[in-house]
Amino acid sequence: MNMVTSMILRRMRTPFLLLISVYAIAILGMVLIPGVDDQGNAWRMSFFHAFYFVSFTATTIGFGEIPYALTDAQRLWALVTVYSTVIAWFYALGKILGLIQDKAFKQAVTQHRFKRDIQKLHQPFYLICGFGETGNAMVNSLTEEHYRTVVVEYDEENLNRLNLNELKEYVPSIAGDASEPHILELAGIRHPMCQGVIAVTASDETNLKIAITSKLLHPDIKVACRSEFKDIEENMLSFGTDQVVNPYETFAEIFGMLTHSTSLHLINDWLTGAPNTRLSDPVYLTEGPWILCGYGRFGRELYKHLQSKNISTVVIDPNKSLKEEFDLNEDENRFIIGTGTDQKTLMQAGIQSAAGLIAGSDNDSNNLSIIMTALEINEKVFCIARQNKWNNHILYHSLEDQHKSADNPINFLIMHPREIIARKIRTFFLTPLLDRFLGIARQQSCEWSNIMISRLSAIVGDSRPHVWSATINKKTAPAVTQSLRYGRIITISHLTQDPGDRNAKLRCVPLLLIREGQEILLPDDDLEIKIGDELLFCGTHQVKDNMHWTLRVMRSLNYVMSFRDEPESYIWRLYYHYRNTSERRKRTRKK
Amino acid sequence: MNLEKVVFSFFMILALTLNFGFFYGEVANPDHHNIYELFAVIVINLIATVLKFGDRSQLGAMLLATSLVAVAQLISASIVWTFAVHVQETGLTPTVVATIVSLSGGAFLANIISVILLMIEAAMLRH
Repeated sequence: MNMVTSMILRRMRTPFLLLISVYAIAILGMVLIPGVDDQGNAWRMSFFHAFYFVSFTATTIGFGEIPYALTDAQRLWALVTVYSTVIAWFYALGKILGLIQDKAFKQAVTQHRFKRDIQKLHQPFYLICGFGETGNAMVNSLTEEHYRTVVVEYDEENLNRLNLNELKEYVPSIAGDASEPHILELAGIRHPMCQGVIAVTASDETNLKIAITSKLLHPDIKVACRSEFKDIEENMLSFGTDQVVNPYETFAEIFGMLTHSTSLHLINDWLTGAPNTRLSDPVYLTEGPWILCGYGRFGRELYKHLQSKNISTVVIDPNKSLKEEFDLNEDENRFIIGTGTDQKTLMQAGIQSAAGLIAGSDNDSNNLSIIMTALEINEKVFCIARQNKWNNHILYHSLEDQHKSADNPINFLIMHPREIIARKIRTFFLTPLLDRFLGIARQQSCEWSNIMISRLSAIVGDSRPHVWSATINKKTAPAVTQSLRYGRIITISHLTQDPGDRNAKLRCVPLLLIREGQEILLPDDDLEIKIGDELLFCGTHQVKDNMHWTLRVMRSLNYVMSFRDEPESYIWRLYYHYRNTSERRKRTRKK
Repeated sequence: MNLEKVVFSFFMILALTLNFGFFYGEVANPDHHNIYELFAVIVINLIATVLKFGDRSQLGAMLLATSLVAVAQLISASIVWTFAVHVQETGLTPTVVATIVSLSGGAFLANIISVILLMIEAAMLRH
């Protein structure tokens, strides 16, 4: 028996007992008290009639004095019946209503419903712990591509937002502390369909606990965590957490791509973004010194990077102890004490001749103020703004827009932790090959990136490119695998042909091929495919579906390879085989 | 002494004894089976059933099940009675009485099982 029914039964015990006793007394009284029938003979109600009479009286329906008019003695008892039974009913109804409004009962009902939702999940799903800004972005982008998700969030208020969002898939959710193992168990961490756990709560400690719990309760699933502190990150990695995302480090990586070349930054941005989102425009850096406001965790990561590129940097931070630490191991770079929100400090740092400015404090108002002040002095400076609260994105974007109209080309970059973490985790779970591709792309020259970006924009135009991977095995590409077993030669160009019209090419680019651990960047069209290959493609969403036909359906594959139509079902295959061999026999006999 | 146990055992045993009183006698003779006794058996069995609501132990579940069986049998008996007397108006013929009494006999058996379970529970508690 589940919690909910047993709760109802336990609470309803007294009202039921009261009802049964009141009914029994009333019925017995009606049966025992003598009456008269319509001819004036002595008559007594049978149990059947008494039960009927009491039933319609107790429920206040009141059909009247049936079957014969009552005597005064019976009426007296009827009065007792009316008051006692009606009161008993009111009491019972009151108890039921009270129970429904009871907080513990409501919680039991939602928990029961959630449990049933999880049991009913028969598709692969991701468990998302924490429905803050990052969790919200994760749920949106995963459901957009029809992946199922389950949400655990501490704050019930945050969960209410989930119902308001119009998502493409139903998302079961529960309010609870995700660091409690039984809550994670309830959310289906042991469920065979659970593909991965995404721990993106605001607290690093909680994320750590979630990662440990997941690895102990279901060692096979992948776990991705958000972490802002180095020691916790190392702790997480020590017991096999598959992906730890530090928003500051990740942004430093992105910044690294930007300093490498504009195109590489664009490639990263286009390929990792969630589907149906706006493509960002290219941003250009100029040579020159940089100013870094805020020397916290974010500032340090960027400073490390600027130093490795030998870019001279002036650091501004209000904390004096940081200056001492900075001066100890410093060479030629300057450290100024201040916030950078005033003209004086910025002038002192040399804003007039600076190439770039990073507003990296943990206060959004200060960051906005730094940039607005700096732009008044030097409107050509490249600005990087750290955005802390998602709600402030309107302010940051309007600042960006104002700046854009004043000066072209665009030299503005906003860093939102939520977007960065969501992208990183999305890539990790959905297209792990993309990470490898970007890693290789980082080692290529600027020219390579330029060519790559022009190829991409030729394929997808203005829309967000879709990235997908295809593994050549029996499960994901049955037609291709079978054809390869027959000894046929299939090249990449076969896969990129349109299965609707083989003279046309699908609008996609093969980005990467992995064969026995070896990476082949941008494989050629006439490269032969082997069983076990993993391919990464980039194109439009429609193209992905078209390619599925070629990979899965023998008839489509034969069509693009210009083979004759072959029967699909077993019996027809046998028949064709028989016919072909008998024709061959006839031919040889004629000779 | 646990008052809940006393009350429950009282109703359980009362259901059994009353049922025995109704069941005892010639099977087809209406004079041996009193309608008030049947009414009392039904009411007492209903009360005994409701008393076991919400008990989450294994024995509680089994007691609830036996009580439900008894109630189902007795209510069928009363429906047969009502049908014979009020709907078909054949009156209490020996066939009808035999049907009613055999149904109550089934309920009697269920009540015996309930009491046995009750005794087992009591014996277990002593340990």
